[in-house]
Amino acid sequence: MEEWRFIDFGLVDIRDMMAMDEAILKGDEGNTFFFWTPKKSIILGFFQKAQVELDLPKCKDYTITRRISGGGIAFSDDRCRQINYGVVGTIDNDLFPLDIIESYKQVCGVLIDTLVHYGLNAAFRPINDVTVDNKKISGNAQTRWEGKLLQNGTLLLDFDIEEMLRISNIPKEKFLDKKIASIREGLTWLDRELGQQRDMEEVRNVMKDKFEEHFHVKLKNGTLSKKEKELTKNLIPKYYSPEWVYR
Amino acid sequence: MDILKTKPGIHKSRGGLIRSFVILENGKISDITISGDFFLFPEEAVFRILENLKGTPAKREELLKNIEETYAKENIQSPGTAPVDFTESIMKALEA
Repeated sequence: MEEWRFIDFGLVDIRDMMAMDEAILKGDEGNTFFFWTPKKSIILGFFQKAQVELDLPKCKDYTITRRISGGGIAFSDDRCRQINYGVVGTIDNDLFPLDIIESYKQVCGVLIDTLVHYGLNAAFRPINDVTVDNKKISGNAQTRWEGKLLQNGTLLLDFDIEEMLRISNIPKEKFLDKKIASIREGLTWLDRELGQQRDMEEVRNVMKDKFEEHFHVKLKNGTLSKKEKELTKNLIPKYYSPEWVYR
Repeated sequence: MDILKTKPGIHKSRGGLIRSFVILENGKISDITISGDFFLFPEEAVFRILENLKGTPAKREELLKNIEETYAKENIQSPGTAPVDFTESIMKALEA
């Protein structure tokens, strides 16, 4: 069976993580699946302006950076009950389809299998969400580079909606078409759905198993290569710079 | 431009929210910026879209044609968002 690399980066500063994320996409180590746990932070999508999307004076104790893929803010609070993953894969129309929505669906299949394992009614909602009973439980963002894709996403185990609403400027237009009265009704998380807290390590292990089943591969623990470390070193200043974050 | 003093045009496409901030001069776009949670590949091409819009008459058909041309030239893919959505967002900013 084919082996793909697996890395668990643990608790990280998101600026360092986004640099490693880009380095893995632009590196040479082949298909990779990885986890990380962000500290209190906000990651802006490529097309989002910090001063438009965020109430910046209220974000003073958050680390803010921007990623290279589109989509909306990824918000992490002090609870750290979010599983953040990344996948880098070579686009080949079988495992990672060329069609953008199909490729989201493929990778999101791992999240759906994980939620179904816990008895939940999980589904893919195009373009890039995974839902449980039509409520978003996972957001995902993808970019592509030289025949490879990078998909990042989160699986919410717990989530502080009120805090997210406090620090961000989400207009009513965002959720009107989803036939919900507010964003509060459109989101959910694993702890709420299950009525109990599951050990995060256990959920991550289920996700890893489901990834192996879904892609018919074996995940093998690895680390960043010399080239990826070099790339990361060169990319870190960007993710720390106001020119990139507040552009 | 001072984005916080400029009224945005807000439009939601299937692929995400597009907020446009536009400054007009003599009926033409002199400055434009956008913020949103949509997806667009290749990402950097968004700057081409904005650059090419500068100097374009603030009319729906002209804006749409201009954006469509950039889409074709830069091979842009934006699942759930189309040139017509950017146009709609800009038109709302112009009406704001």
